[in-house]
Amino acid sequence: MRWRAEKHTPYLLLSPAILTILFVVAVPLVFSLYTSLTPYRLTKPDSINQFIGLRNYERLLDDTKFWWAFGRTILFLTIALNLEFLLGLGIALLINRITWGQRTLRTIMMFPMMFSPILVGFQFKFIFNDNIGILNNALQSLGLTDGAIPWLVERDLAMFSIIFAEVWMSTSVFAILLLAGLFAMPKDPLEAAKVDGCTPWQVFRHITLPFIMPFAYIAMTIRSLDVARAYDIVDVMTGGGPAGRTELLWTLIARVGYDNAKMGQANAMAYVSTILSILFTWYFFTKLVAARRYMGGAA
Amino acid sequence: MGNITLNKVVKAYGKLEVVHGIDLDIAHNEFVVLVGPSGCGKSTTLRMIAGLEDISGGEIHIANELVNDLPPRKRNISMVFQNYALYPHMSVRENLGFGLKIAKQPQNVIDQRVNEAAEILGLSSLMERTPAELSGGQRQRVAMGRAIVRHPEAFLFDEPLSNLDAKLRVQMRTEIKKLHQKVKTTVVYVTHDQVEAMTLADRIVVMKDGYIEQVGTPMEVFNHPVNTFVASFIGSPPMNLLPALIVSGAIWFDENTSIPVPSRLAPHVTEGQEVIFGLRPDDLTPEGHGIHDSGEGTFLELKIDLAELLGTETVLYTQIAGSEVQGKMFVPRDVTPGEVLKFRIALEKTHLFDAKTKKSVRIS
Amino acid sequence: MTSLHKRQVKAVLTWIATFILMIVMCVPGLWVVLSGFRPNREILAKPPVWIPEDLTLDNFAAIFGLSDAQVAIPVIDYFANSMIIAVTSTAIALLVGMSGGYAFARFRFGGKNALFLGLMLSRAVPGIALSLPVFIIWSHLGLIDAPMGLIIVYVALNVPFTIWLIDGFFRQIPKELSEAAQVDGCTRWQAFWKIEFPLARSGIASAGVFAFLTSWNEYALASQLTRSTDSKTLPVGLMDFTAQFTIDWAGMCAMAVIIIIPALILTFLVQKHLIAGLTFGGVKG
Repeated sequence: MRWRAEKHTPYLLLSPAILTILFVVAVPLVFSLYTSLTPYRLTKPDSINQFIGLRNYERLLDDTKFWWAFGRTILFLTIALNLEFLLGLGIALLINRITWGQRTLRTIMMFPMMFSPILVGFQFKFIFNDNIGILNNALQSLGLTDGAIPWLVERDLAMFSIIFAEVWMSTSVFAILLLAGLFAMPKDPLEAAKVDGCTPWQVFRHITLPFIMPFAYIAMTIRSLDVARAYDIVDVMTGGGPAGRTELLWTLIARVGYDNAKMGQANAMAYVSTILSILFTWYFFTKLVAARRYMGGAA
Repeated sequence: MGNITLNKVVKAYGKLEVVHGIDLDIAHNEFVVLVGPSGCGKSTTLRMIAGLEDISGGEIHIANELVNDLPPRKRNISMVFQNYALYPHMSVRENLGFGLKIAKQPQNVIDQRVNEAAEILGLSSLMERTPAELSGGQRQRVAMGRAIVRHPEAFLFDEPLSNLDAKLRVQMRTEIKKLHQKVKTTVVYVTHDQVEAMTLADRIVVMKDGYIEQVGTPMEVFNHPVNTFVASFIGSPPMNLLPALIVSGAIWFDENTSIPVPSRLAPHVTEGQEVIFGLRPDDLTPEGHGIHDSGEGTFLELKIDLAELLGTETVLYTQIAGSEVQGKMFVPRDVTPGEVLKFRIALEKTHLFDAKTKKSVRIS
Repeated sequence: MTSLHKRQVKAVLTWIATFILMIVMCVPGLWVVLSGFRPNREILAKPPVWIPEDLTLDNFAAIFGLSDAQVAIPVIDYFANSMIIAVTSTAIALLVGMSGGYAFARFRFGGKNALFLGLMLSRAVPGIALSLPVFIIWSHLGLIDAPMGLIIVYVALNVPFTIWLIDGFFRQIPKELSEAAQVDGCTRWQAFWKIEFPLARSGIASAGVFAFLTSWNEYALASQLTRSTDSKTLPVGLMDFTAQFTIDWAGMCAMAVIIIIPALILTFLVQKHLIAGLTFGGVKG
């Protein structure tokens, strides 16, 4: 009797979680897969019953706007995540060296993490504003530039600005987790390496870095779980402009789906972006699991 | 009556069977120690008795009641865990009284029994501390106190001393023994340490790979191991085990080295039988330095490789026919490596096991 | 002598780097907060006014509709909506997450790893991508522009991460404690509430803060699933300050202060547990 009950307990405990995810994520995803096979427009409700196969996806293949957004999203993520990792590592190593006021620094570092992405967007829209932004004001007051630099209007600058905002918001995740890794690091291997004649760089490269990599993967996994929150930032700062030059997949989906009411087409794009995100997360998660196994009892 | 009966008890995780249908009768107030190397199934068996693991097959009775389907709380047992499992957010007093409080005992009964247990274990001055503020030995005592306040049918101990340092372990071992004499209750005690088993047990259950190898009093298990596993597991330093051949009434280790078959074992061996000869270091002693110098014996001249001084005795490392063996020198004198000594083998204390079945020739 | 000199240089460099770091981290936020207390004309002044001459609460008064100088934004409604939605969804997510996290921490069962990965990956679906089908389905269920509609979505959004954190905290608590309690006479349910829950409480609280902040800050889904003061949350309300070509910076900054304050207070309270939770859950297999 009892063993049978025991067997079902975990599933019972997990059922609320599973049901919620099914209802809010899985079922809508199935529905959106179906919708992506129709020419559904919000303005023409009947069009949802019209099945057109993979035509929305075929159209995506020829859609240069989509491919530009796709490529730009990949580029954006590559630059942003690498920068966040490197900066986060630098910050973690820096703070690890500091003994006085370390706790305060750590607390301050957590704050950007807690900012609403939409707020981060507004904040940097305000700061990068060509007319009244603090950045241009500062540059002009210091005499570094005469005119107003169009941070959010010129295309490369606009891309730079949104990446800056994104990095500002998310570097903390890396810094904090890598710092936790450094704190958790046992002293013995470091000392053993030093005795064995390693240079500081070699110690870092062969002892410290491998040890804190699992922590980096946790950060990567957490980050990739909601990379798409960059949508909020871009939506506010540039709205995908100027002339689509900062358009990412996510802003494009919103434009096609809601502004142009082409739900079928937008769902096809959404599917591509979903798969992209899931692959991303899955990749880092398996890395995390592998690193964790590799660490074995050491952690 | 706190007797415990295991009848063909099996534990399997899916297809992997880890305990293979063991039978065991534990009498009321008996102190039984399950001992064996890690992974032998001793802890799993204990946890099945406690109700923390489901029983895959067979039956367990506690106090003559079938408990297979009873949750732990209905088995009227208490348990001391390896890492004590004290509730970190409760004081010592609350830890001790927790079980009684759950059972909705009146406060005066709780107080009385908690104080009584604290008295027995010398915890009275620590009652308001939390586990974090206690030393290892004190935590151990609280864990035992938590077990005794409930006046259970049986105490279960799961390697309770393995987290303590060597000195404290010996001290707590004595306390557990004393406690059992004071609070007469059935005890099932799991350990991998054969010294603990020998010192504590009324009866020892030696386990290996999910089977019971031997059940017996410490003396029985020590003096009459049923197979080579028990022989080498019980006793320290371990019994020397040497492959040998029975030819014309003698045990031959190689073409040149032989000793007579002990007379008590002679009826059990056959000509040409491949055997394993078992010899405890205590029974291989330089002439004049043994404890069994009377009785049936034989002599071998052996060259000393190494001598380990322990004070009252010296452990001697030497070789019989190329196999490394350990002997002992009681009332020792200085011995230098390379020295050849005349050793006496106390034949009546030696063992013979069949080389194939590994069982004692007396039973196979 | 030279090595001492070198060490001093290193220390100075460390402090300079830290100083620059803190400026970059803090100044943007502080500037926004400061601007929330400055009149619009000072924010827009050319040449810029660096040292605030005139600190005022007018912006807050204006957005709360207490002065007639500017268009009132229903901030109180937004704040109430945000609070109700964030608190409710957090409470539900915690219950669901506790139950699920406990299952992962304490039981062995078939498909465990796949299920964990599946739950995590569900979180990876971009909000905007999810909003399309949810928008259509919710409009059929009448959940558009209703707090309940957002609450349900936020529960689902928070459950995976809550499970991750809580799983980690429960795994920190030795299994033997629950077993000891069961031997002591507790049912598994009692053992949970009397032993494991009190010990994991601070961890669970920090998971709650994380969930609260996710809901409090979410924009992509809220912007599509809400329409009016019935359900609009603060992040969506922030958009009220943008007209076609102009932005009411002063009002917006004041509203930003209102959004930031609860987030900062909560973060500050649980930061220690939060870091611990993330690393326990992730590293210790």
